Amino acid sequence: MTELWLIPALPLAGFLLLLIGPSLGRRASSLIGAGSVGASFLVCLFTAWSFAGKPITQTLWHWFTVSNLSVDVALRVDQLSLVMILVVTGVGFLIHLYSLGYMAGDDAFSRFLAYMDLFVAFMLTLVLGDTLLTLFVGWEGVGLCSYLLIGFWYRDPSNGRAARKAFLVTRVGDTAFTIALFILATKFHTLNIEAILTACQAWPVGSALAVTVAGLLLGGALGKSAQLPLQVWLPDAMAGPTPVSALIHAATMVTAGAYLIARMFPLFQLAPDVLQLVAAIGASTLVLAGLSACVQRDIKRVLAYSTISQIGYMFLALGVGAPSAAMFHLVTHAFFKALLFLGAGAVIHALGNQQDLFKMGGLRKALPATFWTFLIGSAALVALPPTGGFASKDLILELTWASAPGARWLWAMGVFGAFLTAYYTARMFALAFFGPPHSHVHHKPGPVMIVPLILLAAGSLLTAALDWPGPLGGAPFFSHFLAPLFPVSDAHEVSASLASILQASSLASALAGIVTATLAFRRFSPSVSPDRPSPLVRFLLSGCGFDSLYNLLFIRPFLFLTRLNRNDILDSFYTALAWVAGLFHRGLSRSQTGQVRWYAFALALGAVILLAVMVLL
Amino acid sequence: MTALDLQALLPLVLTTATAIAVMIAVTITRRHGLAAWLCAAGLAAAIASIASARECAPRHISDLLVIDSFARFYSGLILAGSLVVAVLSYGYLKLRTDRHEEYYILLPLAAVGSLVIVCSANLLAFLLGLELLSICLFALIAYRRTGRGDLEAAVKYLILAGASSAFAVFGAALIYADRGSLAFGPPGLALSSPVALAGIAALLVGVGFKLALVPFHFWTPDVYQGAPAPIAGFIATVSKGAVFALALRYLSTENLLADGRIIWLLTAIAAASMLAGNLLALRQDNVKRMLAYSSIAHVGYLLIALLASASLGRPAAAIYLTAYFLASLGAFGVVGALSQPTRDADALADYRGLAWRRPFLAFTLTAMLLSLAGLPLTAGFVGKLSLVFSGVSSALWLLLSALVLGSVISIFYYLRLLAALFATPPASEPAISSPNTPWPTTAALLFLTVALLAIGLWPAPLLDLIQKMAVAAW
Amino acid sequence: MTPVGLQHYLVLAAVLFSAGLCTMVVKRNAIGILIGAELLLNAANINLLAFSKYSAGTLDGAILALFVIVLAAAEVAIALAIFLNFYSRFASVDVDRGDQMRG
Repeated sequence: MTELWLIPALPLAGFLLLLIGPSLGRRASSLIGAGSVGASFLVCLFTAWSFAGKPITQTLWHWFTVSNLSVDVALRVDQLSLVMILVVTGVGFLIHLYSLGYMAGDDAFSRFLAYMDLFVAFMLTLVLGDTLLTLFVGWEGVGLCSYLLIGFWYRDPSNGRAARKAFLVTRVGDTAFTIALFILATKFHTLNIEAILTACQAWPVGSALAVTVAGLLLGGALGKSAQLPLQVWLPDAMAGPTPVSALIHAATMVTAGAYLIARMFPLFQLAPDVLQLVAAIGASTLVLAGLSACVQRDIKRVLAYSTISQIGYMFLALGVGAPSAAMFHLVTHAFFKALLFLGAGAVIHALGNQQDLFKMGGLRKALPATFWTFLIGSAALVALPPTGGFASKDLILELTWASAPGARWLWAMGVFGAFLTAYYTARMFALAFFGPPHSHVHHKPGPVMIVPLILLAAGSLLTAALDWPGPLGGAPFFSHFLAPLFPVSDAHEVSASLASILQASSLASALAGIVTATLAFRRFSPSVSPDRPSPLVRFLLSGCGFDSLYNLLFIRPFLFLTRLNRNDILDSFYTALAWVAGLFHRGLSRSQTGQVRWYAFALALGAVILLAVMVLL
Repeated sequence: MTALDLQALLPLVLTTATAIAVMIAVTITRRHGLAAWLCAAGLAAAIASIASARECAPRHISDLLVIDSFARFYSGLILAGSLVVAVLSYGYLKLRTDRHEEYYILLPLAAVGSLVIVCSANLLAFLLGLELLSICLFALIAYRRTGRGDLEAAVKYLILAGASSAFAVFGAALIYADRGSLAFGPPGLALSSPVALAGIAALLVGVGFKLALVPFHFWTPDVYQGAPAPIAGFIATVSKGAVFALALRYLSTENLLADGRIIWLLTAIAAASMLAGNLLALRQDNVKRMLAYSSIAHVGYLLIALLASASLGRPAAAIYLTAYFLASLGAFGVVGALSQPTRDADALADYRGLAWRRPFLAFTLTAMLLSLAGLPLTAGFVGKLSLVFSGVSSALWLLLSALVLGSVISIFYYLRLLAALFATPPASEPAISSPNTPWPTTAALLFLTVALLAIGLWPAPLLDLIQKMAVAAW
Repeated sequence: MTPVGLQHYLVLAAVLFSAGLCTMVVKRNAIGILIGAELLLNAANINLLAFSKYSAGTLDGAILALFVIVLAAAEVAIALAIFLNFYSRFASVDVDRGDQMRG
């Protein structure tokens, strides 16, 4: 299979075409924009079909050689990246299709599609990169596209602020990632992932170097995947168009952090402390974000916090040494979260850009297709059987319980997270689709928006079959598929009875959440909501006060320093230089009198000086 | 004189023939287009004759001329520059004086003078070429005869060029006294003899004047301002390039750099030119004068290549000169394209908001200015980089610091013009309502811009060519 | 009385050259300046011829002198044409009138 390069090249070509020809017209733009991703998806399917279990590497060209570091641009497909490219192009294609309808009325239609295509190209470069540098190019590229798309409606300054915030916060993580790259390059003289993972096995477990590198990589992953303490940018990133939130800030890009850790997992295994940190961060993130999601009024912010929370589950799984479970949750999450975002988009679209949950309600009748698909997505998010979300979250909780005796509290947090998830999902669902309607439905979504919803809903259900729990009559296809990369260890085996108990407890907490929310919000009317929320609610609304904390810790001192330095000494030095130069300029200009006789005199004088120097010296 | 000699001389012969052909054509029918195209075609044929000549061994033609690959490279540069000037002049003159045709006789003759300078192996040939060039330039500078500026510029250039070439002749006489011959070495000059040293000093006055080096630079801004824009471009590039190539050849055949005093003098002149040129340009509101001052500084930079070791200095000089040719001709081309029949567009105010009125011209000028400033992705960057390399390899730290300082200053005034280009256009009518650009001018500017960026992005072919041609030993 | 030799010619040339230079700097009349320039060139010519006869013993110098005479004539022709135009515009051949361009 040598067509690997086509996979990122097709969306890139789409981007270039759309860039060159903004005047193509809507029809051609749609065809190029969605078609290139669709074609890429077909190539991915073909790759999957011909995949024989052995990794395929395709070196495209030699990039550069600096002293003893030689870097190629190479793509590699193995079990892990195969899963990723299928998700990225498959879900990506559906979202592209959906956005043809969603963005149809926008002036910058082709610019939108161009950015989306560029994003897909970079995301595919990220997951297919054979060297860490190729991966890093994709990594930074998706960051750029995220920035461009969050600020897509750039005329509103607050969107630009959100875009800048996302870019700067992820940059903090990227810096850590870059330092890790430098360390690896100096230690191993290569950035090839396979070579690094082989070579680092020489390090003793827990060595300082392994901990440092793993810690730095984790820093990069935290920024990209919006985990504590770098999660602050994601809720604001919802300023972009809803398909962007679905594709970039839910289904694909934000999971890149989890992908990076899974990709470098052998290295992380050499640093058990860092893995424990990953698990702890995942668990705390999922609870904190879940709490924040419970009080949000903006439907997209609910989903944003929910995304942070669900990626917390992935990090939890990675931390307890179950990368295949994390990847499984990544896949199921990609489907149901994309579905939920697109469903939310359909609602927002129908109500004329209304995002406030308290002003929705009663949409069950008005938008039946959206209602049913949203129901399936919500069920998957809550992890009710028989959805994919149930299978993956259940697997994570089971493996967390089994990983180590000290990990029980992590499991407890996961179960509490399941309760929170159920609560905020049911709350959102009830507020949007039940109760009295508070807004008028402007237009109903057309088939181009409904079909992707249905396909994603089907995906949310069918992904369950990939790794359906054994006690319920399933088989772990997915874990077996990834087994060449992540061997299934016996330590994680749980007896059937215990598994059933664990399932029952998480299901029970989910049901408890649903019941609580239903009771609270079934007959909810906005007038009931207090005008001034209580301090606790305000604290949760603001995402647990991280923004204010960072404002206090970093932004204020920085602004203070810049203000101190406004008339800095260096600047006055340069001003003085400029002044001296100006002085010389005036002096010399005076010598240009315009008098030819003076010029002749100067010439003669110069000649005399020259003669004097040559003859007398 | 063999057939091979003739082939080697073909560029000179063809350029001279161009002048004669135009002269004959003018006597038959006075048509501007015909004269211009005859001139352009002749110059193009001369360029082709250089390109087609395979043979690279140096050929001495009597005692006067030597045609080697070095001479061929610089001949090509000079002819290409003259061709561009001819094309730019066509659009420029179309709007002006009623008698255009003689212009196209003088221009190839000036090119012949430059070619003779580049190919000379003898002071006699050099002085002949120098005078031919000067005399043609007197007439070309004063060609319009419409404004006060042209005549003033012509008078200034006439008087000062006359004096400086008298110095050169005097210097040649002194060197002849020491040598007994006017031919260039080897063996090199006896640098101990005061007569020879005085001769070199006097010769340096003549060369320094043509190169507009401090302290012989005073004429530059006035002449550039008064001369027609394409001719200002010609003086800035072709005339300077020819004399510079001669200086390069003379310095190394006579082994002059063996003398500490000459090195010292050239270093002082170079540093003074870099600083004075840039400082004079700093707050200059007249674009043509600004370009003139900056050209003083550029030749100052070029002297680094003259003083550096030959293996790095010679290619560096060729690269830098090529980049400088492109950018200067382009800049003066834009000035010419914007000019009105009555006056040249030389005020800074004429360029305010040009990007919104004439995007192509503004883009071209932007590229030229960035190249002159030596910013990356342009030919100027490649040139300055190789210049710095040659300086570093010969440890010319004083000159390099002057170069850095000068470049920093130069960025200010280049950016000042750039900022004016992209400033929001004034609400009132623009100070100058420029005519439409004729297509030959557009084509020439496009060619210069593309070449400038192509060399900036992918300098390897030019570097190869220069390694092959401009470095060969003589 | 010593016979006229190289020294005398050189002294004459040097004096002529200095005189020419002084003329160019001091005179305001364009024609005067032109005469100064001619003095310079002729000083150089005297040198060339003197060296050709006494010192070098080759004809190179004499040939160059011939060329210089021709070139000087051409230069004067062009110069006079330009001065004529200058006169018709400024109604004077005072070169100090032409100081519009400066700074």
